[in-house]
Amino acid sequence: MDTKELEKKYGKTESELFSFAEYHPEEAEKTGYSNYSYWGSVVRNFLKNKPAVIMCVIFLAIFIFSFFALKIGKYDYTDLRVDNKLKFTSPNAEFWFGTDNLGRDYWCQVWYATQISIKLAAVVAVGEAVLGIIIGLIWGYIRSLDRIITEIYNLISNVPMIIYMTLIALMIGQSFFIMAVSMTAFGWLNMARNVRNLVIMYRDREYNLVSRCLGTKVSRILTKNILPYLVSVIIMRLTMSIPGTIGFESTLSYLGLGLDVNTPSLGILLRNSRSYFLDYPYTLFFPAIIVSLVTITFYLAGSAVADACDPRNHV
Amino acid sequence: MAKYTCKRLLQSLLTVLIVVTIVFLLLRLLPTDYYFTEEQLNKLTEAQKLEILQAAGLTDPIWKQLLSFYNDILHFDFGTSRRISSGIAVVDLIGSKFGLSMRLGCVALIFSLCLGVPVGLFQAYFKGKVFDGIGTAYTIFMNAVPSIVSYSLVMVFGARVLKLPTLYSVTKPVISAVMPVFCMSMGATAGYMLWTRRYVVDELNKDYIKLAKMTGMSQKTILIRHVLKNAFVPMAQYLPASFLSTVSGSLLAEKFFSVPGMGPLLADAIGRYDTPVVQTLVIIYASMGVLGVFLGDVLMTLIDPRIRITGKGDVG
Repeated sequence: MDTKELEKKYGKTESELFSFAEYHPEEAEKTGYSNYSYWGSVVRNFLKNKPAVIMCVIFLAIFIFSFFALKIGKYDYTDLRVDNKLKFTSPNAEFWFGTDNLGRDYWCQVWYATQISIKLAAVVAVGEAVLGIIIGLIWGYIRSLDRIITEIYNLISNVPMIIYMTLIALMIGQSFFIMAVSMTAFGWLNMARNVRNLVIMYRDREYNLVSRCLGTKVSRILTKNILPYLVSVIIMRLTMSIPGTIGFESTLSYLGLGLDVNTPSLGILLRNSRSYFLDYPYTLFFPAIIVSLVTITFYLAGSAVADACDPRNHV
Repeated sequence: MAKYTCKRLLQSLLTVLIVVTIVFLLLRLLPTDYYFTEEQLNKLTEAQKLEILQAAGLTDPIWKQLLSFYNDILHFDFGTSRRISSGIAVVDLIGSKFGLSMRLGCVALIFSLCLGVPVGLFQAYFKGKVFDGIGTAYTIFMNAVPSIVSYSLVMVFGARVLKLPTLYSVTKPVISAVMPVFCMSMGATAGYMLWTRRYVVDELNKDYIKLAKMTGMSQKTILIRHVLKNAFVPMAQYLPASFLSTVSGSLLAEKFFSVPGMGPLLADAIGRYDTPVVQTLVIIYASMGVLGVFLGDVLMTLIDPRIRITGKGDVG
């Protein structure tokens, strides 16, 4: 393309097209500076992933709706009455999700259980993360403790989890608090192992050697030099633990080792429905649909957040 | 290698011993009321209760109980079951249940391996196509949703549409085992699909595959002879552990379909204070856990001679 064609194409004369750039000292300084911010990029990357954003919205919508659902429902969870005449009423205008085997409104039970399950999973996930990260960092960073913690890890992970949970349920009791504490107490293992393996990878990189030589405190090396590398893995584990906890809780509830009967969770509803869902499928479908939606949306949104947190995916 | 294996086996033995001791001590923490049935609790006086406990050796100091427990194990005496089926030797009780669990588990394992690995391979081969999408959706569903939901759905479908029996019965061992076996293999299939797909995709991006393509090798040969073989190496590490855990019975599936297998036995035995059964089961489960990791490492070195196990202990 010669100049004539260029002028024709852009409708400008040659002197307009090619002019000298002016020199600004301040502007020149700015080329060495990037306005990269980690969390900004995380948000931008996440928003690019449309399906995950939709999943996230669905998840939040279910959670928020569960509060409204309890408000607009015709029955309040706290004063449900047993009425044998009304048992197994199919969903209708009065009982939106039908009634259970004792004639109690199913709508408020399902939504209340949804809240309980999400709450339990969130508490356990956060607890596991905090405990797991702290233990994992110590385990990976302090060499003299590596052997001991590895042995403890092997011991705990070799005993089937069901033994601990059964013993706790029998000896201490069953309640939301006990359940949350005991699931956290044995759930940190995976998080700690992941963190530990990564810490070992980054511990002796050159920049950390230099940092140590310069006399940086251990706590600062751990939190400022190493932890940022682990963010995506930690978030991955954290988000996977929520569907995991909901699943584990439902298994425990099914075995009668979960929450007590007065605090229904989705697991307890599913377990109760086991005896009669062949005749009254709606008692299975409502909790099953909600549990599936909650876990799947969270699973997908979680792995998208984890991808977005990985600095290697940032431009 | 031989020296390492010996060391490793000894270490495993020690781990099992400590685990069993911990469980033994934990069980002794349970209140002794669990020793009696409800009927006995109401009828017996405190003195009578104490007498029974003394006869069973439960009032001895802990170290004495522990020593006699070790002594029994060394003589391969695992005691007799008290409550689950009273008076029957624990070995016989577990043996009969293990047989059933193993048969169902093996069928489920073979089914999920034969289905999961090829499907995963094809998913990787058709990466990004509809087939891959369906497969991924399945693995996500199985991973995220609690198994009790998928079991319930299978049960509704199986009972209503296919008219299959919902509970396992000894009189119809084949037809009534269809649903439990299917449920057991669903999750495992998803696991094998996920792993195969991931490793095959990793492998397909490597340079030697490009070279193989350039030499004009057919896709089939590349996939099966080169890709699958290499992708199988990291999977081999988990195979024995997954084999052992499948064979020892699935807790939820067996409970759900009332299969009289080994899966729910442990929780039952703890709940009913059947300590000899619990202790024996823990010995079995702990040994299997340790053995699974060990066999995984061995299998990996056998398949890929480039890998050498070093003496450094590491957690996977």
